[in-house]
Amino acid sequence: MTTETVVRLDDVRKEYGETAALDGVSLTIRRGEAVAVMGPSGCGKSTLLNMIAGLDRPTSGEVTVHGERLDAMNETRLALFRRHHLGMIFQFFNLLDDLSALDNVALAAQLTGSSATTARRRALELFDELGIAGRRDVYPAALSGGERQRVAVARALMNRPALLLADEPTGALDSRAGEQVMDLLIDLNQIGQTLLIVTHDERLAHRCASRLVELADGRVAAESALDRV
Amino acid sequence: MSAVWAAARAAIRRRRLQTFVIALVALLCTATVVVSLALLDATSAPFDRVFAQQRGAHAVATYDAARVSAEQLAAARTGATEVAGPFGQTVVETEAAGPIGAMLGPLTVVGRADPAGEVDRLDVWRGRWPSAPGEITLNAPPDDEASFARGPMAHLTSLSGNGTALTVVGWAYSVSHSADGWVTPEQMTAWRPAATQVLYRFAGDVSTRDAVGQRLTGVTTGLPGGALLAAEPYQVVKEEAAETAGVYLPFLGAFGVLGVLVAVIIVGNVVSGAVVSGFRHIGVLKSLGFTPRQVVAVYLTMVTVPATAGAILGTVLGTLGAGPLLEDTFRGLGYGQDTGVQSWVWAAGLLGVPALVLLAALLPASRARRLSAAEAISAGSAPRRGRALRVQRILGGTRLPRSISLGLGLPFARPGRTALTMASLLLGVTTVTFATGLADTLIATSRLDAAAGGDVGVRPAPDGMAGVRTTQRDDREIEALLRGLPGVAKVGASAGRTVPVAGQSSPVHVDFIRGDVAAMGYEAQLLKGRWLAGPDEVVASAKLINKRGLAVGDSLILELEGVRTTVTIVGETVQSLPGPGDSLFASWRELQRVDPSDFYFQVELAEGADVQAFMESARAADPGLTLWDNTDVGELTVVVTGISTVLALLLSTVAALGVLNTVALNVQDRRRDLGMLKSIGMTPRQVLAMLVTSMAALGVAGGLLGIPFGMAAHRLVIPLAADAAKVTLPDYVLRVWDPATLALMVLSGVLIAILGALLPARSAAQLSIARVLHNE
Repeated sequence: MTTETVVRLDDVRKEYGETAALDGVSLTIRRGEAVAVMGPSGCGKSTLLNMIAGLDRPTSGEVTVHGERLDAMNETRLALFRRHHLGMIFQFFNLLDDLSALDNVALAAQLTGSSATTARRRALELFDELGIAGRRDVYPAALSGGERQRVAVARALMNRPALLLADEPTGALDSRAGEQVMDLLIDLNQIGQTLLIVTHDERLAHRCASRLVELADGRVAAESALDRV
Repeated sequence: MSAVWAAARAAIRRRRLQTFVIALVALLCTATVVVSLALLDATSAPFDRVFAQQRGAHAVATYDAARVSAEQLAAARTGATEVAGPFGQTVVETEAAGPIGAMLGPLTVVGRADPAGEVDRLDVWRGRWPSAPGEITLNAPPDDEASFARGPMAHLTSLSGNGTALTVVGWAYSVSHSADGWVTPEQMTAWRPAATQVLYRFAGDVSTRDAVGQRLTGVTTGLPGGALLAAEPYQVVKEEAAETAGVYLPFLGAFGVLGVLVAVIIVGNVVSGAVVSGFRHIGVLKSLGFTPRQVVAVYLTMVTVPATAGAILGTVLGTLGAGPLLEDTFRGLGYGQDTGVQSWVWAAGLLGVPALVLLAALLPASRARRLSAAEAISAGSAPRRGRALRVQRILGGTRLPRSISLGLGLPFARPGRTALTMASLLLGVTTVTFATGLADTLIATSRLDAAAGGDVGVRPAPDGMAGVRTTQRDDREIEALLRGLPGVAKVGASAGRTVPVAGQSSPVHVDFIRGDVAAMGYEAQLLKGRWLAGPDEVVASAKLINKRGLAVGDSLILELEGVRTTVTIVGETVQSLPGPGDSLFASWRELQRVDPSDFYFQVELAEGADVQAFMESARAADPGLTLWDNTDVGELTVVVTGISTVLALLLSTVAALGVLNTVALNVQDRRRDLGMLKSIGMTPRQVLAMLVTSMAALGVAGGLLGIPFGMAAHRLVIPLAADAAKVTLPDYVLRVWDPATLALMVLSGVLIAILGALLPARSAAQLSIARVLHNE
């Protein structure tokens, strides 16, 4: 692990009306780290993830990812930033039903300007690495939950992101599929991929993360290093 | 409050955009339907309508004042429900200054105290009714202020009749053509009229001339023999009117049909889309305990409330819009009086569009009714298998930017919705194509008219009229004078004469021409044959050929100044010199007993020359010449182009709203997909491009498919209108399509699609990813 900072939040506050979802959160994530964010429902986990992903803007404070101030970017720059530097996986996979598994993954590279051939070649490499090569022409509706999440992971990795964000990545999976996804995340982190996982699942956090950030009422309540199980 | 109403009201409030779109589409569709039906209704029976409004006379009877007294006529009413008269009637030999003076001729004048009454309620559309001897109100179809001011009638302020100076105090219109002018009964008495006019309306069958004749027999039974001099049944004027109004019928009928079709498709698309996108909501209602019937009721209420509100406003808007349109359209024909939208038309808008909405909602709502709660819930969000997959795969492999290829694939995801959207775009493009073709043809025809009519018409004032300056020049000198004036390019001269034709019951008007007449467009617009080359050759106008069943190559024996002359028709041209329109062109000959006003000159000015400046210089050079500007665009062109533009815009707007609705529904369906695409780096501009592309592709398809329909409508309608007007149009005025125009028509489809898609696409581009994905 290097000491290079990938994510830095300085006193970030996010208000929805009179409610503060985040209340002065400061956080740093270094390259190669795997950080799990946990906390009860409504504590601000998803809001924190949205801030780091550039999906939402803070009311105050600074959000810096990969050396860029996201809170100062316009929508188009944010989109370009996400495209090149961030990968996201969601609880409900968010695959496009009209595209095959391969095309769902290739899409992320095509948005950066890669040709269809190049994008599909890169996607096939990822399918091989993630063990789903045989499912490349299958449409999302015909994939199992675990397979869908692997496809989603492949899509997130397509542009070799500096940071992989995972929002309850095992939340919609059965235990076997959940285990497979956890193994995948561990493998990715071990080859240097920086991870931020938002989850309720302690087991996921303890298996995959090297550091745990606990949120309560929009604040960082505790931070601790984890020994992976 | 019932549960159904509470649920429907909540749905209306929650789905504000959808409610707004339904209301707006219902409003515009109702307005279109009202305007279209009003036009269709008006064209179907314009004469009957005005005839009913004026309580037109079924028979205009003229009696011999010497044989039957006014008292006897007043008492003879057998079979008549309403009677107007007896009025004194006489024929007045008139003289008047100005261009119209030469054309006035003898006028049938009636002495009437007022324009109202049980029969023939006249429309005094300008000035007033005569109130004292020496005043006259003339009969003419109503005209608007600008046209009246331009036309020759504005100069007709006084005339001389039967030795009496008459001041023209007003203009009125009688659809029954009961007289050419009206004076006070006192003035009529002073003239000692030899005839008496009585106007009748009858009960029972008056549908044929014979039926009217029989009713008239009932009235005249018991009157002295020979008392009835003449009686004209209303069918005579109705048949004349049908010829004029018939020109408009094909144009307006085509737009009416297009309007109703677009309304049906858009309403069906909007409403079924609203119901389909609400399947999940339907499932929730069912899980709460709503019966299938209650669920259907909620949805029908949800769409009917905004549709009814839109229909009410649309009916008001359509009625307000159709009124002036109808008046403008039919005023020139004399049917503008109190032209309004009939009650059945607004009833059709008010009830028909909500009924249509209800019907369109019923089909998908019935489908939802049959679904179980679980199925209904999943129908709103479950992945749609098997649709559009192959297309997306092919598009994904192309070199197109991914946002564009994704957009091109979107329409295949909802084929039903896409088909309805494309149908509305197709009809939009059909309308635009038809309207463009119509305008181009009318402009081409108008140019043809303008070229052939010259820029300025010149006629010497007639001899022997009191107070009117006459020219001292003969026709050759006038032609030379005109040729010598600055800015003049061509001068054509003609002498008009009505000539008996051997073997034909009515004479024919012949224009004996010299100078540049042939070169002023008449030769260029030959439909058949060639231009005349000798004294025994003539060229006939298409109207004359059609009216008399003649053909190029036929010979006519003209009885000209007592000498029989055989001439051959060597050519057919679109039109004749200004006048009745059914004339012959013949080469110049020196005629005997010619009044100066028989000569007509038309002048074509050089490019860029000022018409008004020329007219002023010509008047200054010879005050005995009457001149008028021939450069005005024809009334038909103005009216039809105006109507077609309004309707094309209205229908295009409705088609664009259909697109707006489709994109709004697509965005609603695909919020999750859009959020995901943005989360992996799709920029707002790319989202916009994707959604706009999805509709622009339909615009191209709708454009390509709509153009042939529009061209076919144009090919069908113009000849129908030309037939009604008894004219033949040269084929080239129908050949208005060139690649550039067709490309523009395709672009019009794309433009309608883009304009419709832009607003919801922009809103989708601004969609908050966090909120969309959080809602999952």
